[in-house]
Amino acid sequence: MKNFTLLLLISLPNLQVQVSGEISFNKDIQPILSSNCYSCHGPDSESREAGLRLDTREGAIMDLGGYRAVDPGKPEESEIILRIESDDQDEVMPPPESGHAISSEQLTLLKEWIENGAEYETHWSFKTPHKQPLPDIKRKEWPLSPIDHFVLKKLETENLPISKDASKRTWIRRVFLDITGLPPTIEQAEKFHNDEENDAYEKVVDHLLASDTYGEHWARMWLDLARFADTKGYEKDLHRDMWRYRDWVIKALNEDMPYDQFTIEQIAGDMLPNPTPDQILATAFHRNTMENDEGGTDDEEFRVAAVKDRVDTTIQVWMGLTMGCAKCHTHKYDPISIQDYYSFYAMFNQTEDSDRVTPIVPTPTPEQARQEKEIQKKISQLQISLQEKPETFQKDLENWKGKFKNQPLWEPFTLVKTESKHGVILEQGADGTLQAKDENPEKDTWTLTLSIPDDTQITSIRIDTFPKKSGGKWIDKNVALREISAEWRTNDDETKKVNLINPRADFSQNGWEVAKAIDGNKNVGWAFSPRSDQPHVAIFDIQNPIKGGNLKLTLEQEFGQGLLFESFRISFSTYPVEWLKPVIDYEKKFNLIFEEQVFAKTRNIHDKIKRETNALNSLKSQISKTPIMRELPQSKLRPNTIHQRGNFLDPGKDVNPEVLTVFGKIPSGYNADRLGAAHWLMSKENPLTSRVMVNRVWARLFGTGIVETEEDFGSQGMHPSHPDLLDWLAVDYQENGWSLKKLLKSIVLSRTYRQSSIIHKDALQKDPRNRLLGRGPRFRLTAEMLRDQSLFASGLLTQKIGGPSVMPPQPPGVWKSTYSGAKWSTATGPDRYRRGLYTYIKRTSPHPAMITFDAGTGEVCQVRRIRTNTPLQALITLNDQAYMEAAGNLSNQMLNYDAELSQQIAHGFRRLLTRPPEKKELQRLISLYHQLEEEIIDKDDYLQSAGLKEGNPAMVALASVLLNLDETLTKP
Amino acid sequence: MNLPINLQNTQAITRRHFFGQSGLGFGAIALSSLLAKNGYSAQTPNFKIPAKAKSIIYLHMAGSPSQIDLFENKPALKKYHGKDCPEEYLEGKRFAFIKGTPKMMGPVFDYNQHGESGQWISSLMPGLSSVIDDVCVIRSMHTDQFNHSPAQLLLQTGNPMLGYPSMGSWVTYGLGSDNENLPGFVVLASGGKTPSAGKSLWGSGFLPTLYQGVQCRTDGGDPILYLSDPKGFNRKARRTTLDALKDLNQYHHKHVGDPETISRISQYELAFRMQMSVPEVMDLKKEPEHILKLYGAKPGHISDAESATDPRQLYQSNDPTFANNCLLARRLVENGVRFVQLYDWGWDHHGSSLGESIDETLPIKCQQIDRAIAGLITDLKQRGLFEETLIVWGGEFGRTPMMQNNVRNELQKGFYGRDHHPHAFTMWMAGAGIKPGAYGETDDIGYYIGKNPVGIRDLQSTILHQIGIDPHRFSFPYQGLNQRLIGPTNEGKVIKAIIS
Repeated sequence: MKNFTLLLLISLPNLQVQVSGEISFNKDIQPILSSNCYSCHGPDSESREAGLRLDTREGAIMDLGGYRAVDPGKPEESEIILRIESDDQDEVMPPPESGHAISSEQLTLLKEWIENGAEYETHWSFKTPHKQPLPDIKRKEWPLSPIDHFVLKKLETENLPISKDASKRTWIRRVFLDITGLPPTIEQAEKFHNDEENDAYEKVVDHLLASDTYGEHWARMWLDLARFADTKGYEKDLHRDMWRYRDWVIKALNEDMPYDQFTIEQIAGDMLPNPTPDQILATAFHRNTMENDEGGTDDEEFRVAAVKDRVDTTIQVWMGLTMGCAKCHTHKYDPISIQDYYSFYAMFNQTEDSDRVTPIVPTPTPEQARQEKEIQKKISQLQISLQEKPETFQKDLENWKGKFKNQPLWEPFTLVKTESKHGVILEQGADGTLQAKDENPEKDTWTLTLSIPDDTQITSIRIDTFPKKSGGKWIDKNVALREISAEWRTNDDETKKVNLINPRADFSQNGWEVAKAIDGNKNVGWAFSPRSDQPHVAIFDIQNPIKGGNLKLTLEQEFGQGLLFESFRISFSTYPVEWLKPVIDYEKKFNLIFEEQVFAKTRNIHDKIKRETNALNSLKSQISKTPIMRELPQSKLRPNTIHQRGNFLDPGKDVNPEVLTVFGKIPSGYNADRLGAAHWLMSKENPLTSRVMVNRVWARLFGTGIVETEEDFGSQGMHPSHPDLLDWLAVDYQENGWSLKKLLKSIVLSRTYRQSSIIHKDALQKDPRNRLLGRGPRFRLTAEMLRDQSLFASGLLTQKIGGPSVMPPQPPGVWKSTYSGAKWSTATGPDRYRRGLYTYIKRTSPHPAMITFDAGTGEVCQVRRIRTNTPLQALITLNDQAYMEAAGNLSNQMLNYDAELSQQIAHGFRRLLTRPPEKKELQRLISLYHQLEEEIIDKDDYLQSAGLKEGNPAMVALASVLLNLDETLTKP
Repeated sequence: MNLPINLQNTQAITRRHFFGQSGLGFGAIALSSLLAKNGYSAQTPNFKIPAKAKSIIYLHMAGSPSQIDLFENKPALKKYHGKDCPEEYLEGKRFAFIKGTPKMMGPVFDYNQHGESGQWISSLMPGLSSVIDDVCVIRSMHTDQFNHSPAQLLLQTGNPMLGYPSMGSWVTYGLGSDNENLPGFVVLASGGKTPSAGKSLWGSGFLPTLYQGVQCRTDGGDPILYLSDPKGFNRKARRTTLDALKDLNQYHHKHVGDPETISRISQYELAFRMQMSVPEVMDLKKEPEHILKLYGAKPGHISDAESATDPRQLYQSNDPTFANNCLLARRLVENGVRFVQLYDWGWDHHGSSLGESIDETLPIKCQQIDRAIAGLITDLKQRGLFEETLIVWGGEFGRTPMMQNNVRNELQKGFYGRDHHPHAFTMWMAGAGIKPGAYGETDDIGYYIGKNPVGIRDLQSTILHQIGIDPHRFSFPYQGLNQRLIGPTNEGKVIKAIIS
């Protein structure tokens, strides 16, 4: 492109400056074409009008039959110029009904561009970034880092002033809030204030980056992108355990996990060789998609919706491009075709999940994992110690077994009488076995009279049931013993109820557990399908052992068809019940019984194993299970097609998995799958990933990105304010090993960042939004930072990293969900005062104090929060329980600090704002205090509102004023 | 006020500054200035057109009432009553709960013709019947969503997925509000629960949160969350603290010079005024007895359904919550609120469990709303507000002409039910230049549209058009697209036939 210079008026947002420069296609022309022309004359062939496309040079200069839309060098002959200038309502472009219009400045630019050859350029963000040499500047003493060269150059070019350094107290509050989300303590601030060393600033930054609160603060940015929430969304919006993923993010940030690893583990951690539990947990990133539990919904429909969300979110988060449009048709502005979309989709469409919670895996916290390991180690040590038996063991065992020669462990009852409703007769064989004879009713209840020995107490009864014969009395081999009950007819002919306890069986059918045979409820009892063809045993202990007389045992078998005992035996024991195990062939288990229950030394060890096993089971039940990504086996991979018009029920042509065509290929050595896609995102050739991330970090620190439209680096997005700075940061981020901490450190130690945010009048006029960075950043804190700051400054904040989300107070009645019946149970104790990051997010009903301060709902990827300033926010910081309790506690901190009122007030002021109050401010606060002392009448009620039993109501109200100062709500 | 002299000076200076600036209240804000604030050059085309309506009252019956039993008198369907549904109606269709071949179910209640237009209206709605000549019944609505959440979202936000701005947000974003002391977009809920899709239905999506609907509550607590001062704090003390805040903020502004500080001061002042104006406008005790009676409203009533786990079990035909909300809606539009959205929960009459049947629950729900709706129309007319207020009534889809059969395949008292039906349903509009009468028809059995179909996009286009917004030109640039309430395509058309 031929270089030429011209003077023209361009309108930066709110910034009218005379700029001399050359016309850049990317900066000057493409935005005009993109917003006015591409929707009908762009990449999407389906909506293309008149066969004309203006997004490529070939299309624009194509011969249209003796004329061209764009005739290079000849604006007066170019159809687009003629059409723009036309007075004919049918001819003029863009058509009036489209709502688009081209201004005269834009028309001038277009003409000059065509005059000059109408050259096209690759869209700026699609070109690989390079570090440009640092620009030459006049005020060479000003920069502290390369960043400052780029910033200063622009300011000098635009003839705008820089600001002096912020005071040290301002800077330290700013940098604390930016890196940890919390303000400094007075002590920390004063230490820095008095530190005259050269590296004073750097020491603070290093300290902050090393603290755990850093990861908590920066996790929030990532969780917005990850659409993290504690519920599934849609109508039912049921709970789902996702907090372990949140904690993974905190940990990864605190460990400064390089961004490439951070990316690969989240997108495809499960596909890494021998993935660690943490790498699998990381894949929960893409399980944050919503799930629909509403009745009658098609799981496939919502599975597909979730996969599409993963595609959109991936490209949005890493590449700052919007894929959404390409779901239904080729993108109207960026070179992403519907084929690209579904090729990329094909890589993400191969996971097991399908709109249900599964697959989920146990995801212990590090502490739980440690405990689990410890218990398992203990158990295995105990088991090893059992292997070597003391010398006396064998001898004692033989002695013990000798007992059973006279009185066996189990001895069959003698059957005295059988009563059956349907005439079944039981015949007792020599070994005590009972055989059912005669009738074969569908259902029956039997009462057996059994003889109890007179000499020893019986402690337990046992039922052995033997498999029914094929072709025998009943076809079904299962038995349904719905209820068993016993009475004792004493030798004195008294009848007493016998309580059966400790039910146990070798096996029970699912839902027909043996305990249900004695629970007094006759709906279900003990049964043993699907193992009906095997012998089984059930044991019931007698609560108060009995001696002599008869036992009347009622067996209620009134369920189904023929689910009755055919061949069984009922025995008793006279021994301690601990010895009585529900095992079929109990004599073979004598050794084990002796070891576990009789021989003191080994019994102790077994008791310990049992205790540890119980502890292990209870620990396991507390371990959170997190939904994760899992690739389908090769044989089950899904075929992929285009979804015509975005409809999954309307398949178009087949597609193969592939990355977006304009951005190269999957790096060699990787397959076209999620893992390959992750490596492609992080490859050096990808022009966007690094730019998008550094821009996002810049925006969090300065309030606005270098590219203001953080979510759109495509042709519809905004041009960067400092392109070379963006590229320098992007390349530096790659070169520093993708370290977020290093990136942050380089920015916050720059002179640009150190500037005072005081706005001078003419700077306000020339650059009201500080796009050229002639002053420090000043903007309202986020919802979470506001909460955290007030809790921290008042001394209430519970500083605990991670764990399940918590429910601090919210107004009653906010949660009114259809069907689910979930309740907000307000935390008491330390969980009431956790950081905002940990507040429970129910997607259909997030905490009102959070959303009112622009936090998201976690339903979809949130790239940036648009800051607002509304009266509802004032109501929250004035009246919300959390802020009232903070005011209460802050007032106590102030009262306890000193006996003198002005000292008390100054102390509260400094806890929040770091700087001491000026004299006038202090005077105003003192006069406020005295007014309030008179005006607050219902003192007890007011103290109670602030969570206090006693205190000073005027000081509480004053503390509330401090919490509501504009300076408090704002990063300085 | 006792201020040191120099602070008084500061005040004077900053007050001048303040009045020169526009605080971001609830009022109309130039779109361009907001757009520029968020990174978009001011390129929004002019979307404003002459308006018929100043305000909108949208009455959403969450769960979706049965059009067959309220508006669609179908003798043919009656004939098929109790017979198997013809196969052709089931082929390739998806239902939420219907399985196999269900039986047809004719209208359960009697129909009569009403008004000059002679429209057939179910005997369940004598109130609506009495004002039917003020209303345009659209019998040919259809949607493409058949589950509550996505269907409600499509209707209210233009997209079945979550995360898009609601109609009320769009309208207040475009037009602002006429009362600086009240939110421009107010939501009132009744029926014991919020609708399926939850608060997303009045969320602002990608528009600034300033434009999200503000739910005003009538359950005995604050009408707006956090509105009340803490217990024990009186108005005088509140004023004192706000005066101090203002002085200190102005003093700080003198040093730092950030106009946002001035805007913040004005937001605190607005909050203070709202603390008075909202309870005032929400106080129904201010209404005379004959007006309360007109709606069937009872000031201060707190419905048992509000605290029930399943409010359907507690529905009372004389529950005045919806009536109260209708009267509040009138008070709000009277005070310049732009968009009042009512949600009434409890219209999902599947007949599969108690409290959700056509034969027993629908009459109760109708009694809760019918008198109130007639009252609202009558009241707006007598105040001259009817011609500048657009009223919209309807559910998110319709209900099947077949009985729902997943529990039992025979009619049993207390269990008459119908499944979700996206292919045809009825809504009505009134006021603000809407021509009374009827529009559209369905086929003999009310399954498909017979004539003049009206899609969700058409409905949205018409609503925007009446409030003075060109639905096609009204957009917000987000994610590479000029996002619109009516979606990216031009399928949505203003229903010219029903507007005068």
